[in-house]
Amino acid sequence: MKILSKLRASIAVAAVLILSAVMFVDINDAQAEYGDVVINNYSDGAGMRPVVFPHWFHRVRFRCKVCHADLGFKFQAGGNEINMVKIIDGQFCGACHNGDIAWSVENCNLCHSGKPGTPTQVHESTVQKLAQPSGAKK
Amino acid sequence: MKISNRISVIVAGLVLALPVFAQQSGKDVYTKVCSTCHATGLAGAPRLGNGGDWAPRAARGVASLYQSALTGTPKGMPAKGGHMTLPDAEVKAAVDYMLGSVKDAVKAAKAEAEPKKEEAKKEEPKKAEARKEEPKKVEAKPAPAPVAAAPAAAPAPVASVAPTEVSAGDINSFNRLLKPASKRNLPPPEDGIHDPANDGTHALQPPLTAFGALPKSNAGNRVNWVEAIGQKKINPRYDRNDPKAEPIVMDLNIVREVKGSMPDVVYPHKQHTEWLDCSNCHPAIFVPQKGANAISMASILLGEKCGVCHGKVAFPVSECRNCHSKKKDIAKAPAPAAAAK
Repeated sequence: MKILSKLRASIAVAAVLILSAVMFVDINDAQAEYGDVVINNYSDGAGMRPVVFPHWFHRVRFRCKVCHADLGFKFQAGGNEINMVKIIDGQFCGACHNGDIAWSVENCNLCHSGKPGTPTQVHESTVQKLAQPSGAKK
Repeated sequence: MKISNRISVIVAGLVLALPVFAQQSGKDVYTKVCSTCHATGLAGAPRLGNGGDWAPRAARGVASLYQSALTGTPKGMPAKGGHMTLPDAEVKAAVDYMLGSVKDAVKAAKAEAEPKKEEAKKEEPKKAEARKEEPKKVEAKPAPAPVAAAPAAAPAPVASVAPTEVSAGDINSFNRLLKPASKRNLPPPEDGIHDPANDGTHALQPPLTAFGALPKSNAGNRVNWVEAIGQKKINPRYDRNDPKAEPIVMDLNIVREVKGSMPDVVYPHKQHTEWLDCSNCHPAIFVPQKGANAISMASILLGEKCGVCHGKVAFPVSECRNCHSKKKDIAKAPAPAAAAK
């Protein structure tokens, strides 16, 4: 009997933990900076944390045009199919994150810093905050 | 014989002396190894001397703490703090040292845990009473812990879509525009998107350290970015390699007459070309021809037209008057009335 009740208790605790973990990952709970982009095209699948791109940090240093015109970043979260090979070859993030203009790719955890399981999104975007119609772009 | 005797004496002496010399005190180990994380709370490590951090962990027993320290935890504690050469005894000594720094709080936590066990065992009521007095003292001490937990726990009701789940305290917080000041511009480890267990997260710049001197606004990052450039508080590069490249600014206002009662929209090319290149908007998002673009608030809210940026990075649609800024020409309004005569 004791073992049974212990088992039950531990299952209950586990359930609560899992639930709280799920709640924690819930994007709407987050208080991240307006415009922070989470990119999780491949990260979760590769066992890495998703990438968090802080727009505010970059716009203090560069005008929008530098990335969105010169480097060809589309205005769409997760729409650029960025991967590490492209970055190492100097495309996308790699155009600056090469140890020359900004720190280079070996600092994995500075970009791959999101909570595992966070979906691709523009944090706090109007679209995210609306009751979202199916098929709407994020 | 003599030489070998000497050698054996020396060896014996060394063997005897080694444990004395090599055994570092818990404090030494803490200073050399553990303090990297446990002084500042890096990656969520319980901090030296912080009762709130240690109490819940100590409640699980010293053996469990030893275990965590020796083998590491999934939360981020590396086995032996990443120094695999440390003898187990020294790791344990360091744990003891850190526990010693929070003796009172740990005792309190034990006192809290034990009455529950004892009730189950049905011990003598006298002892139970004696124990019950202790937790009262205790409750005041772990108070700092809930403060740390609050940011994580409080926003939970915000997420709920069903109005029934919104607690009375959060009655207004479903609206992102009413985010309380305490939840704005949080540092990365607390913002809910970054993983606090990741060491890199703690190396990232907290937004407020950059926003301090910048002009304020009421939405988005709470920074008026256009003003920030206008007042030369920031000078972001226009070319990634050339810090001296100047933007090609085009000063042309486009007025869009709006149906309904809202003021007409004035679109300033100037502020946009400070940041952007023509090709960012034309021709993909906006056909560069008067009257060729059907824009509605609905499409903007769904992330099209102006909404490609406004509502994602540029100021959101809550700032109506930033765009709807030109009073309608009143001279036109009486005209139909005059015609009716």
